[in-house]
Amino acid sequence: MTLQYHVKLDDGDVAPAVLLPGDPGRVPVIASFWDEAREVVRNREFVTCTGTYRGVPISCTSTGIGTPSTAIALEELARVGATTFLRVGTCGGVQERMKVGDLGIFDAAVRSDGASSLYAPIEFPAAADHDVVMAAVAAAETIGVPFHIGTTLSTDLFYTPQEGVAFGGYQQSWARETFEDARRQNVLAVEMESSVLMVLTRIWGLRGGAISVVVDDVFASTNEAGEFDAEATFDVGASNIERLARVGSETIRILAERDAARPG
Amino acid sequence: MSLQYHVKLAPGDVAPYVLLPGDPGRVAVVASQWDEAREVASNREYVTYTGTYRGVPISCTSTGIGCPSTAIAMEELARVGATTFVRIGTCGTFQDRVRNGDMAVFDSAARYDGTSKLYAPIGFPAVADHEVVEAAIQAGRELGYPFHVGTTRSSDAFYALHGRPGSSFKGYWQSSWREHFEDLRRLNVVAAEMEASVIFVLARLWGLRAGGIAVVVDNVLKVSGPSGEFDPQDQFAHGGDEIEHLSRMGSEIVRLLSQRDGGRDATRGRA
Repeated sequence: MTLQYHVKLDDGDVAPAVLLPGDPGRVPVIASFWDEAREVVRNREFVTCTGTYRGVPISCTSTGIGTPSTAIALEELARVGATTFLRVGTCGGVQERMKVGDLGIFDAAVRSDGASSLYAPIEFPAAADHDVVMAAVAAAETIGVPFHIGTTLSTDLFYTPQEGVAFGGYQQSWARETFEDARRQNVLAVEMESSVLMVLTRIWGLRGGAISVVVDDVFASTNEAGEFDAEATFDVGASNIERLARVGSETIRILAERDAARPG
Repeated sequence: MSLQYHVKLAPGDVAPYVLLPGDPGRVAVVASQWDEAREVASNREYVTYTGTYRGVPISCTSTGIGCPSTAIAMEELARVGATTFVRIGTCGTFQDRVRNGDMAVFDSAARYDGTSKLYAPIGFPAVADHEVVEAAIQAGRELGYPFHVGTTRSSDAFYALHGRPGSSFKGYWQSSWREHFEDLRRLNVVAAEMEASVIFVLARLWGLRAGGIAVVVDNVLKVSGPSGEFDPQDQFAHGGDEIEHLSRMGSEIVRLLSQRDGGRDATRGRA
């Protein structure tokens, strides 16, 4: 019962702290900012690198898009010894103050996903671990990236059934003001994985948190023709992913430093 | 629009930092720990004292029991200038590692209340502000009180939901209650009380700060006797210095936050 079914990891393959991007292609990019790294395994959307960052053991595993595959990655990573989980992703900005390239440090998530509700009743809070939030803030300050602390909306939908977004013009009345309502709720950003990460780690008594770089404004994701066009309006350039990799890795280093200094 | 309808407070009557106990009778007890304090208003279940604690301006307003009256207190306190809300209450626990007299520091709440759903969809997180949580941890360490950081379950029902008949009048019971407490224990929920969820949701919506601590007075899984009968009057541990500890720790949280804020408006740029 050691080799895990989907992620193909065994005991000893990962560090206690794991960075979790969605995109498997980003795992080697993130690992390129470490002292040294090796690709441990790849299977389906799950790619894992393990190495050290400024002397601290660290791993990075991709989750794929969405909460179902993320829940699988978390279950299997926890079984092989991971105890601290930090999502490093991209997000859309919901508030005007969330500029492209800024970092969202998520202390909480709105649970508009399916997987987390199969684990815990919807009343249960998707809240990040306090230590992880504090370390992420310190890391963003150290690296010098503009950041905002607050709530993310984690949804299972990328193509929300709003005018011009979902295929064929499909719309639903309840989806029309999804992002306006989120803006009124003081939600910072929208992405697709943080809720289940925060719920599962909280249930298990492990540590979870999430940071994401803003790659678009959700109210301005249409092209000149007025169509939803992620290819044209999202900025997933190298400098944004580098920010994410640096702040994520530095967060893990600060946590390791603080853990070592803790009495008992 | 200055004098508020229920709490009977006007701008200038409260400090930016407000402690929120449920019981109006506890407000004077909390204020007795301060350097100086005066009662500024008393109406219905809302009693407010304002004063200074170790040189820091501070207020304390009772919310009454439950989220409906708590939401009213929050709405009206925010209108007269409160920006940081710290619930100080009593709670039960679901976890054996937590003992009577220990402090629970709430970083989040499970939303088993009605009021918060009327403000934000149920998927919205009831999560405390990280600066308040940090100050609570620091206060707990400095005072040397045993404390536990985690989730509370905020429920609108006090006498319902026990695992077997005996909590509600005349043995009224529902099968869906059988494992409710056990399930919360498995969810790693630390505490049970009745107000934190709406406080956390409202402060988060508004871009203000909130947090909460509570002193543990019972283990909800063990409190009913062999008959299943629930008698809080006899079964809750109100030994003596719990409320003093609660008042001290709440006031210290405000002092630490004020020190950290250094005179800046801590909620600027949050909404």
